[in-house]
Amino acid sequence: MNTAEKAALEIRSMDDLASGRSYVHRMGSLEKLAITIAYILTIMSFDKYDGTGLFLMLLFPVFWYQVALISISTCFYKLRVVLPLVMAVGIFNPILNRQICLLIGNIPVSYGFLSMVTLMLKGVMSLMASFLLVATTPIDRLCRSLRRAHAPKLFTSLILRTYRYISVLLDETSVMMNAYMLRAPGQKGIAFKAWGSFLGQLILRSMDRSRELYESMELRGFDGEFYYCKGRAVPKGSRLAAVFTIALILIFRFADIPALISSVL
Amino acid sequence: MLKFENVSYSYPGSDAALENINFEIKEGEQVGLIGANGAGKSTLMKAALGLITAQGNITACGLPMTQSNLPQIRRKLGFVLQNSDNQMFMPTVYEDMIFGPMNYGLSAEEAEKLTDETLALLGLSHLKHRHNHKMSGGEKRMAAIAVTLAMKPELMLMDEPSSSLDPKNRRILINTLKKLPVTKIIASHDLDMILEICDRVILVDCGKIAADGPAGEILRNKELLEAHSLELPFCLAGPVGV
Repeated sequence: MNTAEKAALEIRSMDDLASGRSYVHRMGSLEKLAITIAYILTIMSFDKYDGTGLFLMLLFPVFWYQVALISISTCFYKLRVVLPLVMAVGIFNPILNRQICLLIGNIPVSYGFLSMVTLMLKGVMSLMASFLLVATTPIDRLCRSLRRAHAPKLFTSLILRTYRYISVLLDETSVMMNAYMLRAPGQKGIAFKAWGSFLGQLILRSMDRSRELYESMELRGFDGEFYYCKGRAVPKGSRLAAVFTIALILIFRFADIPALISSVL
Repeated sequence: MLKFENVSYSYPGSDAALENINFEIKEGEQVGLIGANGAGKSTLMKAALGLITAQGNITACGLPMTQSNLPQIRRKLGFVLQNSDNQMFMPTVYEDMIFGPMNYGLSAEEAEKLTDETLALLGLSHLKHRHNHKMSGGEKRMAAIAVTLAMKPELMLMDEPSSSLDPKNRRILINTLKKLPVTKIIASHDLDMILEICDRVILVDCGKIAADGPAGEILRNKELLEAHSLELPFCLAGPVGV
């Protein structure tokens, strides 16, 4: 199996994940989208030195991953390519700001280090929330919820077609790579001189297939609206769960939870 | 049901792909569209579906082919693509099957009922919740036909429906197509299948209609078929090597 085939399988495994039957999978896609957006915006609004408050926000994805019956390790595995990039954000902060802000035992922690950790946490938590949304909501339902949130038709069509195009592109890459390797035994990868024609052919072939795929959608009445996602059974209390979660997110953001806990204890 | 009057089409920078095509298909007819590679079969189907804008007059299901009529025409036509992977774009067979009916205004319940009925008609109920990428080529092809049938088309157009099927699946497909109570146009190189299913054949060559008549008559005419890069169907050709 070549790398393109593996990548195509990974994309399709996201569809498998999204077709689960847990409570989160069955929740309304607009509610899930609202929770995710509220969560990410709240995360981003934290001060760059407020590591404690941010750390508490981790409770939300951890809880929802449990309810969705998706392991957090699956998220980290699927996002293994993006995670290092997110982690690299703020990597120079400890060098740029060496002013000591606290001591853990005898170990000094600088403001730069703290802001680096906070930035990393923000990135990782945002990715976790986005992944949970995508892993529990098929792309069409996600696009429909965007339409219901008054996103332009062009924008949602673009998302849907891009998602479908990725699979087509990977399929075609895999076919062409196999054809190339069979006639280039012993070569590691594709020779540099063949890249131009390979890429050109790949674009032409994948565009042809994408056009046919879109025509097939048009022939079955697709006009940019997601009528076919209507009428799915949404579990009772889905909207209430969303409102409650968003309220809780805001409480965690604006109330001093550590102080509250210590006062109770 | 479908009428072509003086229809011509050229792809940009190419010779004519269709040249002065005239024919009429009546309700209930089973028409085979045959011809060598590049003869214009697929282009003709695309013109019938309004996927390309050809010159001349095309009337489908009583409606002239105009931009404003396209949604109504397409609702009445079903198209089975040669590559089922391009037709089955949703994650599961069920989702693919409700896609068309719900786009045309059916409720989720009505679409599901239609899906169940269609799958039962084709004996494919076991495929309902299968993931498209986990099905074999034969299953995908049958599911693609089910997807098209779920739209209750008045006219079905099929592009090479038997290609890449093993003998058993090909037989299932032929038996299924024979019992479908709908007008059909089948473009194929599988002349044995055409002979079995169709009562009329249109032979296309270089974008023109070379012959149009009863299937038994045209498919038994060895000279005509060979003149247009085709051969007699295997079942009429006699034992191999004799």
